[in-house]
Amino acid sequence: MTVAEKQPVPAAISVRNLDFYYGANHALKNISIDFPQGQVTGMIGPSGCGKSTLLRVLNRMYDLYPGQRATGEVIFDGCNILGPKVNLNVLRARVGMVFQKPTPFPMSIYDNIAFGVRLHERLDRAAMDARVEDVLRRVALWPEVRDRLHDSASALSGGQQQRLCIARTIATRPEVVLLDEPTSALDPVSTARIEELLDELKTDFTIAIVTHNLQQAARCADQVAFFYMGEVVEVDSADRMFTAPREKRTQDYITGRFG
Amino acid sequence: MDRSATSPSALTGVARGNGDAVFATIVRCAAVLILLGLGGMVAVMAWGARGAFATFGPAFIVDKAWNPVTQHFGAAAPVFGTLVTALLAIVLAVPLAFGIAVWLTEIASARIAGVIGTLIQLLAAVPSIIFGMWGFAVLVPFMAHYVEPFASHTLGRVPGIGPLFRGAPYGTGFLTGGMILAVMITPFISAVMRDVFLSMPAVLKESAYGLGMTRWEVVRRIILPCSRTSVVGGIMLGLGRALGETMAITFVIGNANHIGWSLFSPGNTIASLIALEFPESAMGSLKFSSLMAAGFLLMLISLGTLVCSRLLLRTRAAGR
Repeated sequence: MTVAEKQPVPAAISVRNLDFYYGANHALKNISIDFPQGQVTGMIGPSGCGKSTLLRVLNRMYDLYPGQRATGEVIFDGCNILGPKVNLNVLRARVGMVFQKPTPFPMSIYDNIAFGVRLHERLDRAAMDARVEDVLRRVALWPEVRDRLHDSASALSGGQQQRLCIARTIATRPEVVLLDEPTSALDPVSTARIEELLDELKTDFTIAIVTHNLQQAARCADQVAFFYMGEVVEVDSADRMFTAPREKRTQDYITGRFG
Repeated sequence: MDRSATSPSALTGVARGNGDAVFATIVRCAAVLILLGLGGMVAVMAWGARGAFATFGPAFIVDKAWNPVTQHFGAAAPVFGTLVTALLAIVLAVPLAFGIAVWLTEIASARIAGVIGTLIQLLAAVPSIIFGMWGFAVLVPFMAHYVEPFASHTLGRVPGIGPLFRGAPYGTGFLTGGMILAVMITPFISAVMRDVFLSMPAVLKESAYGLGMTRWEVVRRIILPCSRTSVVGGIMLGLGRALGETMAITFVIGNANHIGWSLFSPGNTIASLIALEFPESAMGSLKFSSLMAAGFLLMLISLGTLVCSRLLLRTRAAGR
């Protein structure tokens, strides 16, 4: 093995000793995990095991809800984002999120993308047009919508809407993209498209994806984390996780014995 | 149960008597009764008003006179007062209710939002006569001594809107009436807005916040466009209530048959006119008929508002 191969990829986000509470419910228990830069980290585990909760910590979405709190450290760009002085609007622009169901805003396809960009950057008309076209091309939506950019986004199909939501998220040029079961509401064709997309996107973004679909995790992820009852049981490369898991609980889950 | 009732041959038979048909008839009667009641009320008002409309014609609506001595009646002043006070109430109440609803749904913690939400509901339950007494005892002197003199020295000098804020500070008048109405309808409008905002999918709001939007941007660009029609429907419900409110406004409107630019000047509304004059008018007299005609107009205005709000709310339900 050469030195270069041995060197670990630097982490875009490092989670250290994270505990999370929904009121009295202890949802994440002393979690530590790294999200390597430019890689896809897949998070798997049975429902209610805490994987979506972890995503919601990474951009502090939980802050919207009183009674939810996190302790520990989440280091992003050298800064503990759980700290009180973090500017949440900037954090959420740099750590983008895509949800389980497509959530187009009540505006045109063009404005769905341009609106988020305008929050953080001043672009002239031509630069904005270029940005919109660029991200729509990257999610392979451009050929389908180029002639109706100013139609309402709600007229798109579910798969198109989800790709629009991904385009909207990457349009603000985040460093990390969080995806919470982004294909669970989509048909197999749209799912395949989004999986291809992830592969391209990871050249520019660090990606964390929660999925219930183990094949999806195996196909898309470089690193896979198995969550169980609020703990990270095992983190390993996708190859090893699905062929030779170290933990019995992981083995049981991926062979379908529970979950 | 009879075994034959469950056999295939009994499928078309009446298995358990005709209770269901009786029940259906009873509830249908209840529904029809409402329709008859509404129709009857419109008919009675129109019938009672026929004398006034026969004497004065359609000009009754735009005639400013109300003179029992000369038996000359017109509804223009109370119609004007009704519309002006109701519009003032909406102008004052909508921003307030919007602020309350946004605060309750987006900013306040769940426990505080629950407490304040309940208090606002209680405000809606205060009988209007209490608002009337409070308005007369507290609000009218306050307006006369502080608000109106101050407003005429400041706003009264602004070109354009100046005439609205000039005139003697009586305390009673359109502005005070509109303020009382605003306090009364704010709970209604904020309750509707709160429900609409709460019914927004959480994930839509989260994805807006997820792009780095501030609370105001989420409310302005996501929540309001998605809930526009329902919000307007809620405002119309409040408007309907403001139009028909009687007791509270009778105390503070001044009860003068007057139309004018000044919001400080006393005026009248249809409801307060009827409340004050109806007991003193002889059954079958022209004054009685004119009051019925004014009431008929009020009913048309209120029903029109309600129909508009229902239509708006229905388009939303169908559109989503």
